[in-house]
Amino acid sequence: MERRKFIQSILTASAVAMVATPNQLMAEEAKKEAKAEAKTDTPALKGPNDLTLEEAIKVITGGKEVKKSDKIKLTVPEIAENGAVVPVKVLVNHPMTEKESVKAIHVLNTANGNTRCVDVLLTLANVEAYFATRIKLSQTQEVMALVELSDGTFINTAKSVKVTIGGCG
Amino acid sequence: MAEKRKAMVKIKPKKFKVGDTVKVDFIVIHPMDTGMAKDKETGKIIEAHYIDNITFSFDGKPFTTMKVWESVSTNPYFSIKYKVTGKGKITVDYTDNKGEKNSKSKKVKPKA
Repeated sequence: MERRKFIQSILTASAVAMVATPNQLMAEEAKKEAKAEAKTDTPALKGPNDLTLEEAIKVITGGKEVKKSDKIKLTVPEIAENGAVVPVKVLVNHPMTEKESVKAIHVLNTANGNTRCVDVLLTLANVEAYFATRIKLSQTQEVMALVELSDGTFINTAKSVKVTIGGCG
Repeated sequence: MAEKRKAMVKIKPKKFKVGDTVKVDFIVIHPMDTGMAKDKETGKIIEAHYIDNITFSFDGKPFTTMKVWESVSTNPYFSIKYKVTGKGKITVDYTDNKGEKNSKSKKVKPKA
């Protein structure tokens, strides 16, 4: 009886360890890779489009002020099982008329190499300032919807997405 | 010169009238490689290959354009709304960072 219990406890302990380690392993591997790349002459991978969130916002707005607004309904999962396919939906509660409209919806992330995802330029034919897509998120971070209105002002909102398996390969 | 890519333009709902606002979905088979990932077998960096521009037009007149970046998922999906003005054709023209140009159309057949 004691022996059986002992074996069972080892099995459950190792099962738990096995479940825990993949993420640990991945994190360790990522650290190793980063260290290795830092040591060699070749710099850590930086894509040609890489922009931090601040840089991306500046490029899009030209430095204009951005106000947080709850006119923007941003729908993202709280937890993304797979960081490679994270659904994003944006709906802006703002008129789409000749007088005033939504000119563009920009979807950004906060921690990928390139924080830009999609820039959608709308016209009145769209009738609704709506856009949906699926993006890759490398790790837990925020997704931001940055919206340009026809009067030249910018509004935004952001939501955090917890990523269990990073999506950038 | 352009490969024929598998792509789909969907209009939802399937039945609509002139004046209705429909949802237009565009899905395309494309790797959307970021240029940051390594091939698991060879260890070599997979070159960046992603769709970078999309234009949605109705009977040749653009009504939505998108600038797309490599953070978008593989085999990407894009969805927008559109007001039906009559019978015609929605065309989605798209290019990628390697200069590939492609196009997919869908007829718009309103009920009334």
